[in-house]
Amino acid sequence: MKLAAVDYLVLAVYFGFVLGIGWRLRKKMATSEDFLTSGHSVPVWITSLAFLAANLGAQELVGMSGSGAKYGIMTAHFYWVGAVPAMIFVGLFMMPFYWGSRARSVPEYLKMRFDEKTRALNAISFAVMTVFSSGISMYALGLLLQLILGWSFTTTVLLSAAIVLSYTFLGGLTSAIYNEVLQFFLIVMGFSPLAIMAVMKAGGWSGMAARLQTMTVGNGINGDVMVHSWKYMGHTSQNPMGIETFGLVMGLGFVMSFGYWCTDFLVIQRAMSANSMSASRRTPVLAALPKMMMPFIVIVPGIAALALSQMSVGYDLPMREGVPDYNQVLTTLMAKFYPAGMLGVGLTGLMASFMSGMAGNVTAFNTVFTYDIYQTHINPGKPDHHYLTVGRMTTVVGVALSIGTAYLAASFNSINDMLQLVFSFVNGPLFATFLLGMFWKRTSGHGAFFGLLSGTIAAALTHGLTKAEGMGGWITTVNTFPSSMAQNFWIAIMAWTTCFFVTIAVSLVTAPRAEKDLVGLVYGLTELKHDEGVAWYKRPVPLAIAIAVLALLLNIWFA
Amino acid sequence: MLDLRVPTGFFFTLVGLILVVMGVFQPSERPALMDTNVNLYAGVVMLAFGAFMLALTRLSKHEDH
Repeated sequence: MKLAAVDYLVLAVYFGFVLGIGWRLRKKMATSEDFLTSGHSVPVWITSLAFLAANLGAQELVGMSGSGAKYGIMTAHFYWVGAVPAMIFVGLFMMPFYWGSRARSVPEYLKMRFDEKTRALNAISFAVMTVFSSGISMYALGLLLQLILGWSFTTTVLLSAAIVLSYTFLGGLTSAIYNEVLQFFLIVMGFSPLAIMAVMKAGGWSGMAARLQTMTVGNGINGDVMVHSWKYMGHTSQNPMGIETFGLVMGLGFVMSFGYWCTDFLVIQRAMSANSMSASRRTPVLAALPKMMMPFIVIVPGIAALALSQMSVGYDLPMREGVPDYNQVLTTLMAKFYPAGMLGVGLTGLMASFMSGMAGNVTAFNTVFTYDIYQTHINPGKPDHHYLTVGRMTTVVGVALSIGTAYLAASFNSINDMLQLVFSFVNGPLFATFLLGMFWKRTSGHGAFFGLLSGTIAAALTHGLTKAEGMGGWITTVNTFPSSMAQNFWIAIMAWTTCFFVTIAVSLVTAPRAEKDLVGLVYGLTELKHDEGVAWYKRPVPLAIAIAVLALLLNIWFA
Repeated sequence: MLDLRVPTGFFFTLVGLILVVMGVFQPSERPALMDTNVNLYAGVVMLAFGAFMLALTRLSKHEDH
């Protein structure tokens, strides 16, 4: 792929605006809370789009279009089963406690609700995780641009890190959030023309379906599986993902996605910055609307790519060492469907998605480090401007650590897989802790802490005892899964279940906190304000119902 | 506080203009697989979106007064 001058112009204009937004916001940063939490002042349309965009990294764009070509519309389960229900749940049932407690971070909520050790466990694992995931996505971007444009890995990594650092250093969380919204629009504008053209060229949805039905995709499965999300979910042997309905709904739909959307500070931080309780509840609910449309932009082009590769129109799936290289599906489509000009917009969209993901990680990292680690354990009791300085310095350190991680990932390839595995062990049980903490006032700090620990151990044990695609089984193999995706779902299910029951058992034999200390933190002891008299589209519950119905219709339509 | 609609509006107006100029003055710039003036169409959409954002800002300023 070759870029023209106009493509670089679009990229330069974008960098200019991103830095300009940071520059304009710099004077607003008077206190540590302005810088790290946006001081509860951001309007709801901005927080919702940022809630979505912080999660929409470059790896998602590249990975989801690749999965579209590999697994078909089943990939949309990650949106229509995985994300949307969890986003509605966190908005309706959990934001009242996150926002209402006035906690500045998710670990701080754990401190208020449980105790210091539970907070420390969550804060430290979260801080390590954010640094590594922004480093890994930086590595992925550097590798991709090196491959398709011949840009030097070091230049890409340093340039994009410098820009993210500049605007988050200047304007803190507000700047990150504002830019995430700009990035979201750019991703939509930059990639929907690709989806439209690829599908048109492949003969529309019905033309694609007809084309795919004449081919075989892996293990002798008919290509019809590519255009149905539920039809082939009865048994693991019927679909290329190797999953079935129960594992999908419980593992992905319940444990993994609720664990992510309901407890991950990276996204919750966006909803916490909203300017009212109602706005913070509507943030994830409203974000679910564009979220459920994303498959049309990120997955459908991948399915179209597979159909096009069967049509001898001049498009072939990218190959590497004799097998399809799915990570290049998106960029090869761009090369075939975008002329100079639009190609620049698409590429800028890819950079934007990377930056929104990285800025999300960096701003979540500096808040957790400053408040939950530094102010709590290292240097408490200083005046606020001290913590503002520490917050700024942590931003620099966070970016530097991410760069280091990117190079670490570049030199030890297997480190990626190992880290993601460890993260999944830590994340698996989290939702059980929050669910019990918010809805059962008897849950004690010891219960939460030991529940989390045993859940993580259960996850590791499940991985050690089962095998899939040659992974796991390092203790002994008692079960073999048809795919590592199925294995991941079951690891999550085991972790969650263990944490749930251990937390209950330990809580029943340890002392609960006094009820007066739990006001505002637990259901039943918190007064929920009802917003009658406000138009329905400004109330969380009617909005949530409308969006849930839409998600249901999408599931039925593409079943 | 900065009204985000202003920079968003200006950004898409500018990028839209760049694409429209490309589409008008270099209409032969076509993708490999489609005989469509992609730059022109996408540019017009972005221009319209940018203008819409700026119009919203003007509108809410009028309401404030």
